[in-house]
Amino acid sequence: MARYILKRVGMMLISLLLIVTMVFFLMHAIPGGPFTAQRELPPEVEAALMAKYNLDESLPTQLGHYLLGLLQGDLGPSFKYPGMSVNDFIREGFPVSAKLGGITILFVLLAALPLGIVAALKNGKWQDGMTMLLATIGVTIPSFVIATILLYLFSHKLGWLPAYGLDSLVGYILPVVALGGYSLSFLARLMRSSLLEVMGQDYIRTARSKGLSQTKVVIRHALRNALIPVITILGPTVAALLTGSFVIEKIFALPGMGKHFVTSITNRDYTTILGITVFYAVFLVVMTFVVDLFYVLIDPRIKYE
Amino acid sequence: MPMDDATLTPDCWAPLKDSQRQSETLGAVHRTFAKDVWFRFRKKPAALIGLGILTLVLLFALVGPYFTGHDFDDQELAFVNIPPRMDVFVMGEDYVYLSKSYKPILVSPQGHLLRSLPRIAEDLSKKQTTYDFDGQVLTVDFSARPPRLIDPQGERVRYYVTLWNRSYILGTDNLGRDLLTRLMMGARISLLVAFIAALVNLVIGILYGGISGYLGGNADLVMMRIVDVISTIPLTLYVILIMVVLPIGNSGIASIVIALGSVYWVNMARVVRGQILSLKEQDFVHAAVIMGTSNWRILTRHLIPNAMGPIIVTVTMLIPSAIFIEAFMSFIGLGVSPPMASWGTMCNDALEALRTNPYQLFAPALAICATMFGFNFVGDGLRDALDPKLKGR
Repeated sequence: MARYILKRVGMMLISLLLIVTMVFFLMHAIPGGPFTAQRELPPEVEAALMAKYNLDESLPTQLGHYLLGLLQGDLGPSFKYPGMSVNDFIREGFPVSAKLGGITILFVLLAALPLGIVAALKNGKWQDGMTMLLATIGVTIPSFVIATILLYLFSHKLGWLPAYGLDSLVGYILPVVALGGYSLSFLARLMRSSLLEVMGQDYIRTARSKGLSQTKVVIRHALRNALIPVITILGPTVAALLTGSFVIEKIFALPGMGKHFVTSITNRDYTTILGITVFYAVFLVVMTFVVDLFYVLIDPRIKYE
Repeated sequence: MPMDDATLTPDCWAPLKDSQRQSETLGAVHRTFAKDVWFRFRKKPAALIGLGILTLVLLFALVGPYFTGHDFDDQELAFVNIPPRMDVFVMGEDYVYLSKSYKPILVSPQGHLLRSLPRIAEDLSKKQTTYDFDGQVLTVDFSARPPRLIDPQGERVRYYVTLWNRSYILGTDNLGRDLLTRLMMGARISLLVAFIAALVNLVIGILYGGISGYLGGNADLVMMRIVDVISTIPLTLYVILIMVVLPIGNSGIASIVIALGSVYWVNMARVVRGQILSLKEQDFVHAAVIMGTSNWRILTRHLIPNAMGPIIVTVTMLIPSAIFIEAFMSFIGLGVSPPMASWGTMCNDALEALRTNPYQLFAPALAICATMFGFNFVGDGLRDALDPKLKGR
C-alpha cells in the first residue's frame, strides 16, 4: 500500500510539473507583453515594471522563480489588477465555489443513486423509462442552456426563485440543478447499467436461493458491487462540475472561482489564467488520487499495482 | 416450388449431376457488414429520428442562408429586437407595431415590416413622443404600461391584432440582425466543429493509439504517459488555454480548429490502443507477420479495420461533446468573434436581454438541443447496430 501511494504521488508530481511548465510556456508565447497598451510607457517605467515582475530575466529563470513560488503556495501577482495576487482571487472565490460544488455533489449522489437503483430494479417498467428519458435529456442538453431556461422559467416567468445571489438556501436551487444536471444523468445511467449487470450474477442467485428478501439481496449483495464503477467515475465528475461552474457562476452572477477565471480570460489577465489553471490542476489531481485510494480501499480484489 | 402429387414425377428421383447440386449454396442473400449494420440501425425509431434531425441541420446550414433574404451580419437599426410574433395596433387601413423601445413601425397587414416612422419631438415631462406619419402626427404615450398609441385625431388606438413577423421569421437581435440567418450560420460553425473533431479523432487518435498499441514496450509506455499527463486536467481547460494564447484570426474559427486538434484525440487514442493490444495477439496477425507483411500494412490493413466498430462508437460520442465545447467557449466569450454567429454566442447575447426578449434565447437553445439529440440518437443507434452486445447500456 505504502509503495503504491508513493508511486502515485511521484507520478502526480511529474504530471503537475509538466503541466505547469507547458502552461507557463504557452502563456509566454503570447505576442505582446503584459504592459503593451494604447499609450506607450516611458522606457524607464517599463523597465522598472519588467524588473518588478522578474520579466527581464531569461525564460528558464522565470520558470524557476515561478516554480519556487508555487512550492511556497504563491501563485504570483495579477497583471490586470495591480496589488491583487492570484492567491487573493482564489481565497475570495474558492469558498463560494467549494460550497456550491459540495452541495451539488451531495445533490447528484442523493438523486442519481436512488434513480439508478429504482430504474434497474424496475427494468422495462415506466419508472425505468422515465429515468432513462430524464437521463438522456440531462446528458444531451448543455448546462448553460439548462441554466438559462431554468432562469427564465422559475425566476423571470414564475418568480419563485431568485435569479442571482446565494444569500439564502433557496438561491442554491437553480445553480445546483443546472450544474449537476449532466453528472446526475450520467451517474443515474451508470448506476442502472452497473446494477443490472450485477443482478444477473451467480452470487445474487445464490443469495436469493438462501431465502433472503429482495431488500437484503439488493442492499447487502448487489449494491456493494454495483457501486464500484460509480465510485471510479467520481473523479471525472468533480472535473465536470469544475468546468461546468465557469458558465453557471457567470449566468447566476456568483462570485466564485469560475467567474474569476472567465473574467480573467475576457480581460486577458495572463498570470491569473495561469495561476487558476495550475490551482485547478493540483485540485483535480489530488481529488482523482483520493478517489482512487478510496476505490482500492472499498474493493479488496483490486491490487495496488 | 410447391410440392404436390402432380409435380412429383418419377424423374424427381433420378440422381443429380454434380453441376446441379444446390445443397452447398447459401439460400439467403449475403449481407455485407455495412448492410447488416444498416439493417439493425433502421429498426430503431430514435436512431432514424436522429438521422432525420441531422439531415435537416445539414440542409439548414448549407443551403438555408441563401433563402432567408438577409445576411447574417446585416444590421437594420430601425428594426431592433423585433419578436417573431407581434401585437400590432390597427388604425383603420394602417398597421403599426410599437417596438420594445416604444418606436412605432409601420407593418403590412400580412406582417411584413415596412418602415419605422421618423420622430418629431419628445416630451419627457408628459412622457410622450410624437412621430411623423405621412404628414400626420402620431403620439406614443409611455406614461403608463403598456404604452399607448394615440392616433392623429387624438384617440387612443385600442384595437390590435397579433401577426407573425414575415420579414424576420425568428425575429431580430439587439442590432437588428436576422436571427434565422444567424442561426443557420451557427449551424455551419457547429457542423464544422463536428467535422474537425471527427477528422482529428480519426486521423491523429487512430494513428497515435494504433502505433502505441502495436509497438508496445517502451514506446507504448512513453506515448501513454503523455496521454496520461494530458488527461490530468479536463480537455475543456486546455482548449480554453490554447484559445487564449492563439492570436485570434478574423473569425476565431481557426483558433477553435487548432485548439480542438491539439488535444481532442486523447480519448480516441486510448480506445484504439486497447483494441489493438487485444487484436495483435490474434492468429490472423501472426499469420500476416509470418508472411512478411510490413508493420505499417499490418496496422492499417489488418488491425485498424478490425477495431472500426469501437472507433465509430467513440467518434459518435466525441462529436456532440466537441459541439458542446465550441458552444461553451463561445458562451464564455472565447469562441468565434463578432459579427460571426455561433449558437453559444447567440445564447450569451440572449442572456443579457432574457427578461425583455426571451424569444432570442429559444431559437439557439432549441437548435443546440436538437443537434445534440440528433448526434446522441444516431450514436446510440450505431453503437447498438455495430455491437449488439452493448444494447441498452
